[in-house]
Amino acid sequence: MTKSHILFLNVTGIVMFLLLWEVGGRIAGENLLAAPSIVVFEYIRLLFAGDMLRELVGSLRQMFVGFGLACAIGMPMGALMGRIRLVDALVHPWVSMVVVTSAAALAPIFILMFGTGFEFRVAIVFVSSFGYVTLTAYHGARGIDPKIIDVARSYSTGPVETYRKVILPALFPYLITGARLGLVHATRAMVMAEMFVLVGYGGLIFQTGQDLSTAPLISYLVTLMFVSVGANMGLGWIGRQLAPWYDSKMSAG
Amino acid sequence: MATKLSLNNLHKSFGRGKANPIEVVQDFSLDIRDLEFLAVIGPSGCGKSTLLRLIDGLIPADSGSILMDGRDISNKVGGEGRGMVFQSFDLFPWRTTQANVEFGLETNGVPKSERTGIAKHYIDLVGLTGFEHSYPHELSGGMQQRAGFARALAIKPEILLMDEPFGALDVQTRDILQNELLDIWQKEKKTVLFVTHSIEEAIYLADRIAVITPRPARVDRIIDVPFERPRTEDIKSRPEFLEMRQEIWSILKEGIKV
Ligand SMILES: Nc1ncnc2c1ncn2[C@@H]1O[C@H](COP(=O)(O)OP(=O)(O)OP(=O)(O)O)[C@@H](O)[C@H]1O
Ligand SMILES: [Mg+2]
Repeated sequence: MTKSHILFLNVTGIVMFLLLWEVGGRIAGENLLAAPSIVVFEYIRLLFAGDMLRELVGSLRQMFVGFGLACAIGMPMGALMGRIRLVDALVHPWVSMVVVTSAAALAPIFILMFGTGFEFRVAIVFVSSFGYVTLTAYHGARGIDPKIIDVARSYSTGPVETYRKVILPALFPYLITGARLGLVHATRAMVMAEMFVLVGYGGLIFQTGQDLSTAPLISYLVTLMFVSVGANMGLGWIGRQLAPWYDSKMSAG
Repeated sequence: MATKLSLNNLHKSFGRGKANPIEVVQDFSLDIRDLEFLAVIGPSGCGKSTLLRLIDGLIPADSGSILMDGRDISNKVGGEGRGMVFQSFDLFPWRTTQANVEFGLETNGVPKSERTGIAKHYIDLVGLTGFEHSYPHELSGGMQQRAGFARALAIKPEILLMDEPFGALDVQTRDILQNELLDIWQKEKKTVLFVTHSIEEAIYLADRIAVITPRPARVDRIIDVPFERPRTEDIKSRPEFLEMRQEIWSILKEGIKV
């Protein structure tokens, strides 16, 4: 299949989905499932009303603090876990614990610990993305071709330099993948957490859920989806900009 | 002629869990003369790469010693006048040709201003002019090995350790690179330890050939190659060449039977 074939099929899929939704929406009625023809207008209205974007930007800002922390700590830690057995043995159990624990289950404890403000959201986002970022880096580090490490050793490269000049760049594709996974989970967790405490974008969604029409609710979800997909693509783009060899490496395995 | 590198009674075995350890290199002794081109030939899996890794210090020997110009370098990892060209090129995919060639210079603390010029010199020498800013995935196999060669040359090693550098290349590219290697060797004046499993390659390139036994690797015989230099392709069809090929072939075959 060529690129244009794939694009054609993609578009066909979306059109079919929208048609089904439209039919379903007409049958179910607006207070169960608003049809796309209604949502479009509602969406434009919300866009100009300002609430949606203001809450979204506010929430995303706090989310990026938590996510940034998860990357800043998780990436180097995953890399060290993958290369040094002692570090792995020491921290692997609790990293695994963080991954399997659902953020929803932690939310009540975090509310007690941090209240419902900035720290709470940062903490939730951190725990929900940290594990993915760390473990992806960890698996990348374990899988580094030992031959490439031998090259470094052959030139008498010291351990710090090897870490900086060989291990980190070799890990780069994994770091980007981990960040993409982490970001998806961070976004979900943030919205979920906000629904608990009725603040920010999640709060907005929760409150709109009580409305008679589902059109605004669906609009908020669509925006959230755009943000997730956009951020994910953005990270992929950054990966390619920073590392022109990134694509070749990923397709080569 | 003076001895450049002397390998004395090297032993190496690898543990295999509960099974008996596997003896890969056993009582291996060999003197490599200053500025000679020595080929080491042996069947696949006989321990040639292991031998080079021992010499480069990438793995420690169980016993035995390695002397470079008489000084003991047995426990030194990399460096010490050794430059390795790897079997599967093993360039850093995130570095351009230029940056790959500069790698060893960086590690040795050569300042940026000097690195650029040195790397450029060796990139030109191996015929990669114009590909300084290409990444390895943009280069053919032959070009990648040229880059690997330039990377090893850039640190000005006294002895080049080459592990079947052309093994992964097609025949034509291999022939071209063999001739270029000889050219560069004459220009740069280096000792070369060249591992191969191709008999023709060994005869065409080397001053002496050490034929080694299948695992565990030991020197079976050392053969002097009488052909004059510079070598040209036509020696490959001379009767003496064919005779020598036959001789080495029968030594290798004998080793395999035992
Ligand atoms: N790290 C290791 N652990 C266990 N066994 C090893 C290790 N490295 C090499 N061996 C064994 O040593 C033997 C020789 O391997 P080596 O790579 O040195 O052979 P070679 O002569 O270079 O082969 P080729 O011509 O295919 O490159 C093999 O049987 C291999 O299984
Ligand atoms: Mg080998």
